[in-house]
Amino acid sequence: MALITVEISDLRVSADQDSTLVTYALGSCIAVMVHDPLRKVAGMIHYMLPLSETSAQKAAERPAMFADTGIPLLFKTMYGYGCEKKDLVVKVAGGGALYDDQGLFSIGKRNYTVLRKLFWKNGIIIAAEDVGGARSRTVRLEVLSGRCTVQSQGEELAL
Amino acid sequence: MITPDRIAGAIAQLPTLSTVATRLWSLTRDERSSVADFEAVIRPDPALTANLLRYANSAWFAPRSRAESVRQAVVLLGVKRVCEVATLAAAARVVPPRLPGYGLDALGFWQHCVAVAVLSERLSGELGLRPPDLTFTAGLLHDIGKLAICSFVADQSDEILSGLREGLSFVSAERRVLGLDHAEIGAAVARAWNLPPQVADVAAWHHDPGRAPDSVDRALVDLVHVADGLAQLVGFGNDVGELAREIDRGTRQRLGLKVQQLERAAGDCLEPIREMGALFAPAGGPR
Repeated sequence: MALITVEISDLRVSADQDSTLVTYALGSCIAVMVHDPLRKVAGMIHYMLPLSETSAQKAAERPAMFADTGIPLLFKTMYGYGCEKKDLVVKVAGGGALYDDQGLFSIGKRNYTVLRKLFWKNGIIIAAEDVGGARSRTVRLEVLSGRCTVQSQGEELAL
Repeated sequence: MITPDRIAGAIAQLPTLSTVATRLWSLTRDERSSVADFEAVIRPDPALTANLLRYANSAWFAPRSRAESVRQAVVLLGVKRVCEVATLAAAARVVPPRLPGYGLDALGFWQHCVAVAVLSERLSGELGLRPPDLTFTAGLLHDIGKLAICSFVADQSDEILSGLREGLSFVSAERRVLGLDHAEIGAAVARAWNLPPQVADVAAWHHDPGRAPDSVDRALVDLVHVADGLAQLVGFGNDVGELAREIDRGTRQRLGLKVQQLERAAGDCLEPIREMGALFAPAGGPR
């Protein structure tokens, strides 16, 4: 089985049925995992920040850094593999926070809000999610089965 | 609880940090110093000389002309970068292969240290705050206490982790179980290594800048506190404590920091952190 690592601010799509997509240490960052059970294609993005207006230059170099440029690109890349929106199973993990009552470190919450708005506008339903909390998560998505797991605080659970 | 003599023993067993970097930083503050003075400090250290040339000729720095000597490297890079390289090279040499109690290997620990150094300096620039020398060094070395107590933390990890499940921050759980924490011990390590007092202060108070005494440079401690939180938050070298850490209530106001500045710094620093971390990775094997 081949592991395809999705780095921070990166997205990967694979149709290799022996592969598993993995991303490590999602804090406030969010992973969107998309699986097409008919065509056996899987995609994952690990985005860091909510809005590309933070840095137009970074958005041009690395669209997967931001929710608003990265998530549409993930879906477009899936469509490039022949996938259709109606068949896609979408799962979400990450968006954690520190113990911060001043809201300075609200990146996780903002990341999640932008994602919900995007999905609502485009009629995309989240099949399962594990977001928020003072937790760091490592997530895996198997290309063949679409099986998705979240590892955090020493435990691994299916999502 | 750990007795003071066991801690003193653990600190004494750590490899010491090369003083070359500290001497170079003090040269940058002396207006009379010349390139020859830098050369005189660097050249007796073959590992640093090699690192400096490697860095000056690396793709990341994208040199227009090749540096063949220490003197050329100093001229090409500028004294500030030279000091940063010396600090990174010295610090990389004291990182052990694993920090068992924190669930970190050398690369995870290193990535976090480099991230905090780069983010501290970047945020400092964003806020127009202070000269970069101590910011970078203090950021890089804020967690050195972990080197001294990681094995004690490993021995009691079940109790510390159960503290986390009760909602304690990692540093509070350390204190409850061990009777001390890595911040306090970090200051002791900094003193044992004869580092500047501000570096010891940052190590001591980086989890609790609001409670630092007035004699401490609070802006510097606040900066590293924020950079540390940000590095953990976006996943640069997460330890077993994950995101269980408290942000000081006064920091935001004292620094006048905005959420957008924090996000921009995180985005802009992603590549520098990766590149700098990779250039000076400690010898700890793959992740």
